Amino acid sequence: MKTYMVKITIDGKELEVPEGTVIIQAALENDIHIPHYCYHPDLSIDGNCRMCLVEVEGMPKLPIACATPVADGMVVHTKNENVTKAQESVMEFLLINHPIDCPICDQAGECGLQDYYMNHGLHNSRIGLREKVLKRKVIDLGEMIVLDTERCILCSRCIRFFDEVTHTGELQFYKRGDRTEIGTYKDQPIDNSYSGNVVDICPVGALTSKDFRFKQRVWFLKGTKSVCPTCSTGCNIRIDHTKGVVFRLVPRRNPEVNKSWMCDKGRMAYPLINGENRLKYPMIRNGENLEPSPWEEALDRVVKELKKIKEESGPEAIAGIASPQGTNEDLFLFKKWIREGIGTSLMDFRVNDEDKKVREMEDSILRRKDENPNTRGALALDLVPKNGGLDTKGILTAVKEGKIKGLYLQRPIDHFPDKTLLKEALEKAEFVVMHATHNGEGMRAAHVVLPSCTYAEKDGTFTNYEDRVQQIHRAFPPIGESRPDWEIFRDLLVHFGVSLSFPTAQDVFLQLSKEERAFQGMTLKGIGDLGRRISS
Amino acid sequence: MESYVKVVKVEKVGPLDTLRGLWVTLSNFFRTIFLRNRVTIQYPEEERDYSERFRGVHILTKHEDGTPKCTACFLCATICPADCIHIEAGEHPNNRVEKIPTRFDIDMLRCVFCGYCVDACPEEAIIMSKEYDLATDTREESIFTMEMLLNRADKLGFDNGYRPHFGPLGGGGTRGKMEEAGITGTTRKK
Ligand code: SF4
Ligand code: SF4
Ligand code: SF4
Ligand code: SF4
Repeated sequence: MKTYMVKITIDGKELEVPEGTVIIQAALENDIHIPHYCYHPDLSIDGNCRMCLVEVEGMPKLPIACATPVADGMVVHTKNENVTKAQESVMEFLLINHPIDCPICDQAGECGLQDYYMNHGLHNSRIGLREKVLKRKVIDLGEMIVLDTERCILCSRCIRFFDEVTHTGELQFYKRGDRTEIGTYKDQPIDNSYSGNVVDICPVGALTSKDFRFKQRVWFLKGTKSVCPTCSTGCNIRIDHTKGVVFRLVPRRNPEVNKSWMCDKGRMAYPLINGENRLKYPMIRNGENLEPSPWEEALDRVVKELKKIKEESGPEAIAGIASPQGTNEDLFLFKKWIREGIGTSLMDFRVNDEDKKVREMEDSILRRKDENPNTRGALALDLVPKNGGLDTKGILTAVKEGKIKGLYLQRPIDHFPDKTLLKEALEKAEFVVMHATHNGEGMRAAHVVLPSCTYAEKDGTFTNYEDRVQQIHRAFPPIGESRPDWEIFRDLLVHFGVSLSFPTAQDVFLQLSKEERAFQGMTLKGIGDLGRRISS
Repeated sequence: MESYVKVVKVEKVGPLDTLRGLWVTLSNFFRTIFLRNRVTIQYPEEERDYSERFRGVHILTKHEDGTPKCTACFLCATICPADCIHIEAGEHPNNRVEKIPTRFDIDMLRCVFCGYCVDACPEEAIIMSKEYDLATDTREESIFTMEMLLNRADKLGFDNGYRPHFGPLGGGGTRGKMEEAGITGTTRKK
């Protein structure tokens, strides 16, 4: 079907937009802001808040921009006196029964009512404080949400989200007129795995997050663009943090990947970054225990032991297992380290059939079965054994049989399905090096553990299930003495006498885009905020 | 207060001016020693009375039932140029109040006593007293907790200092006072 382009003028700016677009969409996509509450680019049109009134030449009354499709030659004004007056009246109307909760409302600072009152309202209230209609407050709606019906402006975004995206339909309006209330039937808790999203789309403080409640005022938070590492979908997110502590994750709109949503599991995965049991120092085995030690000592130890094994039994006695938790940069240098540093081609990254699960959906919305953000990246970088080489199982069997003596793990591999084989192999291995982000059971077999930082503390790129390369950014410096994986591999390579210079992750990506066929011609600028797909 | 300082303009310095200078010194000396008319006071036995707008140690005001008026809105912590107010918020059992501080610390060593926090507070929950005696033995002692700030006024009997909003202590706060005075909305206009 051919889409016809239509010429319209908004505020004197001539635009060409596809037929069928509504005015507000045409305006927003061209950086003309029309105030709105109920309109949301990823939900159906409802047209109930009346905030987006604009003037269209030739129309007798002001139409709402969210429900008026563009027509050829249309001339729209969004800022003239008629419009401003109408917006002021709508603001006054919306605020008639609104409580003055800003000091205790978590939405303050990112609230549609506050922002538009300052831009389009500034009226004196004509309603006395005692005349307001009072409604129910602080209603517990399950794990994720606290509801305040008094603050609701009845925009129905949340209702449409549960009707159209999750198809669970928990929320509904009850009663009539200025007594209308939002709520669930008999205040039943909302229990679906995407419920956190209504907190983000609620333009006011009616739906607030139970987890984030009262923890921090939003204006103290800094936002860093990132990508959720909890599954292979790779939803675009923003990490909200201050002073090195993450307070929440919120979705970042990417129409091609996650629209404006993310799942609750991904959203609630942030405590792992702040976690008490983050590994902060390199650890070296001393008898039964792992003891903290300086970086230089740990690296020297790794280099010494691996060199010894290499000299005594040849490079084929060492194998590496990468992790799809790492960025493309991490994996690229992992490969270099195993190939050029140690000099073996014994490596794999699959521990639990990640490559098979990477595209399988777990539900019908976003989640995928593979819980790693970069499985496709590891495949694109060819971190799998070739023609009959040993895979993870083969490597572990060879370790058990004593053919392989040294093991380099980019992450603990507790999730390997054959627990007995894993245990026997790790006990038999002469020397096991491991990177880890957290203290844990998986570390018990290691001789040296190197502290690796989480995705929030490094720059890099992930390749999601559909081969879209997306950027993550460093929100704050790594905790303790931990370092990004790529930095550790770089330093090891230097210790092994390979000369290279990668001051930043960006330099690694530059080299990667030169050396790796799949990433040929990609630039970080080209990837931008929304990612770019590897062309097959 | 009578003036202790007189400005004398001298065009040309001659020998007489030296004597005149000496006379000023001597007359003050005699006044202090024999007439007991001193400029200085014997602190700490004696204390000066400061102005009504003196910005001393903060007081957190209370409702009649003894709970803090503070709603943990963080506006004071936001405006504070010294970043010395630390607040943690919790649930209030009454859901019409909803939010209440569970922790409210002010680091008096960092505070510059600018009074911005008092200006920012929408609840008249933080005001200042005339208390200025802040010497402590350790740094920890100079961090005043919510407990201390709430009970400061009762315990030490210091007078209220800077509090630009009207209404007596223990009254209805700014919002209540506004209502009493018949002000129902904001008076801000474009
Ligand atoms: S709760 Fe929020 S999103 Fe839902 S109708 Fe009310 S204002 Fe809109
Ligand atoms: S669907 Fe996956 S990528 Fe998206 S938020 Fe959930 S865990 Fe993260
Ligand atoms: S007086 Fe000034 S420096 Fe001291 S706490 Fe208040 S705002 Fe901060
Ligand atoms: S500004 Fe007032 S109400 Fe808000 S946190 Fe500070 S003392 Fe409490």
